[in-house]
Amino acid sequence: MLRARLGLLLIGSLATATAVAAQPLRVVGSTTVNPVVVEAAEILRNERKATIFVDTQGGSSGGIAALGERRAEIAMISRELEPDDAKKFPKVRFQATRVGIDAVALIVSRDVWDGGVRVLSRQQVQGIYEGTITNWKTVGGPDRRIVFFNKEPGRGTWESFAKWLYGDPKKAPDVSHPEVGANEEGRNKVASTPGAISQLSSAWADGKTVFAVAIRRLDGKVVAPTLAAIADGSYPISRPLQLVTDGPPRGLAKELVDVVLSPRGQALVEKHGYLKLPAGDAKKR
Amino acid sequence: MSLLSRRSEGRGEPARRRPDPLRIAAFGFSAVALAAFAGLIAVFALEAWPFVEAQGLAGLFGIRWSFRSERFGALPMIYGSLAVSAVALAVAAPIGLGAAIFLSEVLPRRARVAAKVGVELLAGVPSVVYGLLGVLLLRDVAVRLLKPFDPISGDTLATGGLLLAVMILPTVVSLGDDALAAVPRSRRTAARALGLGRAETILRAVVPEALPGLASALLLGLGRALGETIAVFLVVGRQDNQWPERLLALEPLARAGQTVTSKLGGSETSLAYGDPVHWGALLGLGLLLLATVSALSFAGSWLALRKVPRA
Repeated sequence: MLRARLGLLLIGSLATATAVAAQPLRVVGSTTVNPVVVEAAEILRNERKATIFVDTQGGSSGGIAALGERRAEIAMISRELEPDDAKKFPKVRFQATRVGIDAVALIVSRDVWDGGVRVLSRQQVQGIYEGTITNWKTVGGPDRRIVFFNKEPGRGTWESFAKWLYGDPKKAPDVSHPEVGANEEGRNKVASTPGAISQLSSAWADGKTVFAVAIRRLDGKVVAPTLAAIADGSYPISRPLQLVTDGPPRGLAKELVDVVLSPRGQALVEKHGYLKLPAGDAKKR
Repeated sequence: MSLLSRRSEGRGEPARRRPDPLRIAAFGFSAVALAAFAGLIAVFALEAWPFVEAQGLAGLFGIRWSFRSERFGALPMIYGSLAVSAVALAVAAPIGLGAAIFLSEVLPRRARVAAKVGVELLAGVPSVVYGLLGVLLLRDVAVRLLKPFDPISGDTLATGGLLLAVMILPTVVSLGDDALAAVPRSRRTAARALGLGRAETILRAVVPEALPGLASALLLGLGRALGETIAVFLVVGRQDNQWPERLLALEPLARAGQTVTSKLGGSETSLAYGDPVHWGALLGLGLLLLATVSALSFAGSWLALRKVPRA
């Protein structure tokens, strides 16, 4: 973190050096929202010669902290704004602009998928998370130890997952699992570890190296995290992708938000596997 | 070191009357560096204070870390840091010192310079590159190597240690070679003249003479290992509360763990903001790390600077 902070400081000081020409825009946060924003920023760079830095240090909560400490003008988050965010940074008026929707998938490694685990119920997921279920055999899979890679607390993915299981991330019990951070890391580690399961943005569950299991809901319906199921709300762990600013977006921040909300930007949201905003909704905002 | 640089011993240049401006400037710059370091410690201590106030320093020395229930026991992380460093040193010390002896004593002069440039280039490779290489290559190797311990994945303390060994190797080789090269040639000639063979000359005449320097190379390598963040972060597994039942057992090395640096490099620092006790605990960890690494660097530099008596 110290190194990251120093890095940001360095970028910050470089930024002040060029600030005379044009105030640079700093965007920090969720690795889920990141690919969309990176491409939208590229559009602005080309068309407006704007200086934009995009970083994913610390995920969603990292973004909120950066915005709160004025190390960034935009925070990317892949969850709802929480009352806690405002409580931690009382001087900042967090305003979230929704730019897309995503689901949290439970991904498993190939051996688990091929071994027959295609559906998990909430109780089963809870058991696996809390360590009461430790072998895939118990949930209809191969006789193999379960390796849970837990998304770091503070990541939008983890918060949405904990909210689904426990109603409130703060009520989640203390568990001890190896932790993963960015989406790439989670995907690679699950793909390369037999018996692995983790939480991951559904758009990153490629179905080639890692596989998203369907959720058996309380009413018995089995729902996979497909775009259709996310859109009609039947898949239970979905979350908004949002750009957060201090007050309404202004200047270059507004331009970036507008690009992401424009048809071009929404096409990027879709291209990266997320659900774009319902037609008409984007313009309204 | 007095500003007037009056030398009481008889040798060396005669005592100067007036202060040398160069000396004053150098002293001034060193003072700035020292002041910056003191300021750093002060800031850390200040930020860590709310934690000390709430739980006392003893709060940091529990075996359970769970920020949601306000428990900030750092012993598992301290254990993790020591474990990865011990593995790193156990691997890097024999290889590194062996390579240093080869470089300094066996290789012809020109080849030595070329090899040394190569080694020092390795020392400059950014640690995230080593980390990614570790993810790509080392995790699978670790699973195979640790098979008897049945690791759940390739992210283990041992993997972190192996990666660190690779990373500190250039430091150990380069500084070790410097230490050996500082041993005067006359010593080797004398040893040979006394009828010692090449190996005996190296082991009995040169290496004992260079021991403080070699120890310093290891200490500075250890300091780098303890402080390294990103590379360890990527392969250590970052699993909290892995306190081993037996401290010196090998088996916990085959499990995922957390080091002080991987904790500080994670997302918890973003969560801790606004909670003075949690934030203070993390800063306390930082202070602990800073103190350990500084002590090691200090000890290492002191050993390296100690005058080897000329033969």
